[in-house]
Amino acid sequence: MRRGLSASFGIAALWTVAALAQAQSNPSAPASAEKPEEGIPVTDPLVISKCGTCHTKDAKGNLTRISWERATPEGWEEAIKRMMRLNGLTLTPPEARSIVKYLATYHGLAPEEAKPVMYMAEHRTVDETSIPNDDVRGACTNCHAFGRPLSWRRSKEDWKLLTNVHVALYATADLAFRRGINAGSGGNAPLIAGGTGAPPALPVDAALDFLGKNAPLHTPEWAAWRARMRAPRIAGRWLVSAEVPGHGRYYGEMQVEPGAADDEFTTRVTLTSVKDGSKLSRSGAGLVYAGYSWRGRSKGSGPAGSSPDDVSAEAREAMFISPDQLSAEGRWYWGEYQEFGFDVKLERATSDPKLFGLDRVALKTGSQSARVRVLGDNLPAQLAASDLDFGSGVTVRRIVSHNAGEVVAELDVATDAVPGKRDVSLRRAVLTGGLAVYDRVDYIKVLPDNALAHLGGDVHPKGYQQFEAIGYQRGEDGKSHTADDVELGPVDVSWSVEEFLSVYGDDDKDFVGTLSPTGLFIPGAEGPNPKRKFSRNNYGDIWIVATAKNEKGIDGRPLAGKSYLVVTVPLYIQWDQPEVGK
Amino acid sequence: MRHLQPLNKKARRISDHVTSLSQDVVALQNPQGGQPRPHVPMGCSLMFSPGWEVDAAGGTAGLCQPVERDIYDCWVTCYWPAQVPDHMNNYPNWTSKCAAATKDWRNLDLVYP
Repeated sequence: MRRGLSASFGIAALWTVAALAQAQSNPSAPASAEKPEEGIPVTDPLVISKCGTCHTKDAKGNLTRISWERATPEGWEEAIKRMMRLNGLTLTPPEARSIVKYLATYHGLAPEEAKPVMYMAEHRTVDETSIPNDDVRGACTNCHAFGRPLSWRRSKEDWKLLTNVHVALYATADLAFRRGINAGSGGNAPLIAGGTGAPPALPVDAALDFLGKNAPLHTPEWAAWRARMRAPRIAGRWLVSAEVPGHGRYYGEMQVEPGAADDEFTTRVTLTSVKDGSKLSRSGAGLVYAGYSWRGRSKGSGPAGSSPDDVSAEAREAMFISPDQLSAEGRWYWGEYQEFGFDVKLERATSDPKLFGLDRVALKTGSQSARVRVLGDNLPAQLAASDLDFGSGVTVRRIVSHNAGEVVAELDVATDAVPGKRDVSLRRAVLTGGLAVYDRVDYIKVLPDNALAHLGGDVHPKGYQQFEAIGYQRGEDGKSHTADDVELGPVDVSWSVEEFLSVYGDDDKDFVGTLSPTGLFIPGAEGPNPKRKFSRNNYGDIWIVATAKNEKGIDGRPLAGKSYLVVTVPLYIQWDQPEVGK
Repeated sequence: MRHLQPLNKKARRISDHVTSLSQDVVALQNPQGGQPRPHVPMGCSLMFSPGWEVDAAGGTAGLCQPVERDIYDCWVTCYWPAQVPDHMNNYPNWTSKCAAATKDWRNLDLVYP
């Protein structure tokens, strides 16, 4: 089977070389006779002196290629490292930092352009819904995430040059460009899409067309941001809400202090775990690109524990600061595959009372004297039960205790309270959707529902995967798994694994690794395993199953949910730009 | 074959071998065109020949067994530029410490472009 595929690939490769010349004169390719787009002049002397020897400067101050491109800090960092690796560029680390800073700011993205691709900088695993069709999917995402091209803005001509560079650097890019989604699927796939007679429309043309229209160099967003961009004035106190899968929620604050330059800062963070009340302090530093894009590093003050998911671990930070500089959100992540992290939301502290959240996000109908902690900041010194409101059907029986950071209250929930989320308010401070009321837990969802772990531990680092079980109520329509379902927060479950039947008798679950009682999957060792058929690696596909300890379904059996986990081999090339946070 | 039953040990082995050939590649036999495509987490490649990280069905059933047997094919032909270092331009010396990947795979480094 494998030999057959390799042979067909060899023939395809020969064919593509022969056809390359033909495609150069493809009449459907964008006409080069179009009036060239205006570039963005480069004004930084260091960029001109370091890059200008190859990227020649024209009379308007444009450097070839660079003036027709805009990108995220990671995009520029990757390009500069490639120039050093392949094109003989030499830079000292301070020079490289300065160039990335200039390019990511003055040849950067507008906030509206950067927000949809923040998952790239935050290293989140997402289902990319931005891919418009299978042609584009084949031309671009056969090899990499679509967030990579969407982290750039280029002129039409420059997008075309980019595809040429792909073909020059990576022989098989041409195969993906021509055969699109069918590349690699053996000898039966059509070599060229399109009908007979008409000039062939290749998947790469569809991709160029899409990117030329949807990721152009000049956009109204960028024009507006170029005028509006200002130095980040973010020093001061920020309120932090954070969530770490497997560890629950944390609330606290971040003190941001000015650093060496007006876009550099140092940070001190104190967080309290909602789950067990433990305190966590972190300190770090970071910088802001283009006025809104935070990249930094921080680590816990205590010694990092031996556990890979230890929350005191040194983490990298990627955050999107809102253009008005009043709020921010992002991820502080660690791990070889960036698999652990705090999902954070920050808000600038004010003198007004502010509610962070509750220690429990759901209460069952008919609950009596249920004790709830309301966590916040600047909460008033004088407080009566009538100041607190948890919405319809929920009454505050009494306030047990309160201070500036939390209120402990006892609540009664009516047996006929309407299920659903309620706003929680303390005088004028409101927590939207802070408390859900439910009659029963209808199902459990195991998150993430598509997961990936990487074998390791012998010489290469392991790639872990943390799972969580979240309860849901069926919602107003009475049907489970619909958009109106009410999320009820984590459910107490026991974890187990099941075989995912893709190959008969491979017993993946005995080899791929182990699942801890807290839902942390620890993959097995990499390398061939002589104990498996054909010495196959310890890779495999399994189900991660969560069975509720206390919640039962309408059939009287414990509720259970499952998630599909692929345990695979180490990723030998890691497209990651840690330097942007230094 | 349905009406033929193996009578002796050798015939049974042939029969088992034929069955194992067809059963072991179950996940590869889904036709590509018109079928719902797997959801592949970010960073994975959909290309399959033999595939890297995940196969065309989104699982591991179609990966090379073991992957080290084919890793140099990926490197030499630059088949997964986003997953495995390439030989042509970026990492010509990636395998210099490792003559036979199935034995010396510990000497293959991860690279950070």
